[in-house]
Amino acid sequence: MSAISEQSLWLGLHCPALPLTAVWGLLPESGPVAVHDAGGRQARIAQASRKAMALGVRPGQALTDALTLAPSLHSRLRNRSMETQALETLALLAYDYSHQVVLADDCTVLVEIAGSRRLHGDTETLTARLSHDVRKHGFAVRTGSAPVPAAAQVMARGGRHCPDMHSLQRTMEQLPPTALDLPTGDLQALNGCGLSTLGQFMQLPVADRIRRFGPRLNDRLAEIFGQRAIALSTWQPPERYRLDLELPAATADTAALLFVFRRAVNHLGRWLQVRDQALVELHARLECEEGGSPVRLDIGLARPGQAHDRLLELIGLKLESLNLPAPVERMELTATTTSTHRPPQADLFSGHNRADAWPALLDRLHARLGTDGIAGLAPAADHRPERSWNWTSPGTSSTVTETRPRPLWLLPEPRPCRRDALRLEQGPERIESGWWDGRDCRRDYWIARDRHGRRLWVFHEHQPGCGWFLHGLIDM
Amino acid sequence: MAAAPTVRDPLGQLLATRRDLWRGRESAGGAAVLSSGYRHLDCWLPDGGWPCGRIVELVPERLGVGDFRLLLPFLAEQTRRGQPVVLIAPPLIPCPQALQAAGLDLAQLVVVRRANHALWAAEQCLKSGLCGAVSIWPPERMQTRTLRRLQLAAEQGPAPVFIHYRPGRSPPPSLANLRLAIRPGPELEMLRATGRIGTGDRKIQLQAYQSPGRASSAVVADPIPFPGQ
Repeated sequence: MSAISEQSLWLGLHCPALPLTAVWGLLPESGPVAVHDAGGRQARIAQASRKAMALGVRPGQALTDALTLAPSLHSRLRNRSMETQALETLALLAYDYSHQVVLADDCTVLVEIAGSRRLHGDTETLTARLSHDVRKHGFAVRTGSAPVPAAAQVMARGGRHCPDMHSLQRTMEQLPPTALDLPTGDLQALNGCGLSTLGQFMQLPVADRIRRFGPRLNDRLAEIFGQRAIALSTWQPPERYRLDLELPAATADTAALLFVFRRAVNHLGRWLQVRDQALVELHARLECEEGGSPVRLDIGLARPGQAHDRLLELIGLKLESLNLPAPVERMELTATTTSTHRPPQADLFSGHNRADAWPALLDRLHARLGTDGIAGLAPAADHRPERSWNWTSPGTSSTVTETRPRPLWLLPEPRPCRRDALRLEQGPERIESGWWDGRDCRRDYWIARDRHGRRLWVFHEHQPGCGWFLHGLIDM
Repeated sequence: MAAAPTVRDPLGQLLATRRDLWRGRESAGGAAVLSSGYRHLDCWLPDGGWPCGRIVELVPERLGVGDFRLLLPFLAEQTRRGQPVVLIAPPLIPCPQALQAAGLDLAQLVVVRRANHALWAAEQCLKSGLCGAVSIWPPERMQTRTLRRLQLAAEQGPAPVFIHYRPGRSPPPSLANLRLAIRPGPELEMLRATGRIGTGDRKIQLQAYQSPGRASSAVVADPIPFPGQ
């Protein structure tokens, strides 16, 4: 027992149902489901859900047999890349509790928790919080702890906790050899010698063990007791955010898509938190079935932030107005983020956050009406009235230098009108401009009153055409 | 011992405690209002100004008679106080130079350009309770139910809501607090009003809006200077 291993404590999070979770976890509620391996000639069930097990579906069964037993069964091919991604999601959740997170093979994530124990009180509280957090995100995990990472992996599979080397020794002695995930040959050899627990095996002299069972089993035990070092590569959350999701069943239903987005946004929120970033814009690419062209969805925030519910609301609004050519089967999310952000501050007395509410309202309007659906107004430096204004983003402040009278309302395009119905009241104001950009004009603007007593802004054009035009309404 | 306080108008006091009862011209008053910026108009409007959190329906006789210019001093004051003003689905383009000349802070102005979700946008703006004023040009015929929804949303905030009906389109029977007809002049007629009536006249002739050309400075001056200006 080394001094170092006394100090550290590794928590293993083992997710036995990872293949199933990785593929089917994106559906809110499902009937009997399973995943199968393609195998050689025949597809075989790799893992089945509880509902499927109740109908008699068992791992290892041929898919055709399973479908005969349970015609309502939905089975998908096992997806290794989604499994890796799910394991990384698990690691991301665990990263909140420790900076030393290791992705171990066989559906386990190892976390060094000795360093974070004091923050949470004690080991039990920390373990309970972490496993609650992980379950909330849809992972059914078994936890186990040991001072050595390799041992924690074994303990997690059995759901046992060994806070020190003594208890690890005792627990290991009681375990059957099958707990070690050994090749079948080794297990048979142990069984053949009548060794039913690891304790019996460990009582044998080392030379004897190696001679009879080969060095592999002995090395494995040495790793578990920390006598033989193994290389660990700790996992870090990626620098740029990216998430690929394959939907188990293609869907165009807004509610189902929103469920998937909720998962994704939770994941994104966690990533933003651990990398201390704020979201500027979320880009989603929805790939549709039957080779339909992908649909892009960009959700920008007027003010960078980490608020999940606001983002989800915006996504919901976007989805409502979205026209999907075909059901969505894949989704790819990336994010533009910034590290310079100020967390929202609530008012000390009321507890409300007014400063954040206005950008939130603008975001909501943007999401439903489109980017050019809402705008602010700004004057532009041009003498021609039709070019003397611009739509801008709301909140842009500007100054006007124009001092001559302008109508309150401009027509989008000047409209021809008759001179005889008008009484010219004020003017003329000569505007002659635009010879440099081909939109040359020479006009005399007047404020005129029509027979209803309304004041209009009209002009007499000399060039390029000739005639009277209505360009605005003074009052309205 | 002090004498028992005499109740002067027992029925009136009893009725005053009932919030669900509206007593026409004799209502207790005290409803929150904001000055329109025209002293003449304030005296005439019920309770002395634009009602907060209420709907004001404006029924112009024809396009361009000045139903929006009527609001300008008030809108300008709201933007100066840092309260955003939202124009929803205006039929023409508001000219930024003229708005600024009337004293509006363009940074506080938001225009909703899409007419297809205009009423939804209005409801969102009102529900947030953040806007200083909301002006709506309803793209389609208003339903009483829609109006009711807007009224409920408007009650969440301090902003008066102005609905500019399209000329020639009769507004629905409504629950709005104030409905004004506007004719060239401009002449205003109170078609419907709740609250304490000011001067009691049905019609009012506002002196013609100051012509932008004749204004001494670039600013079309407010008829009444606002306090603190």
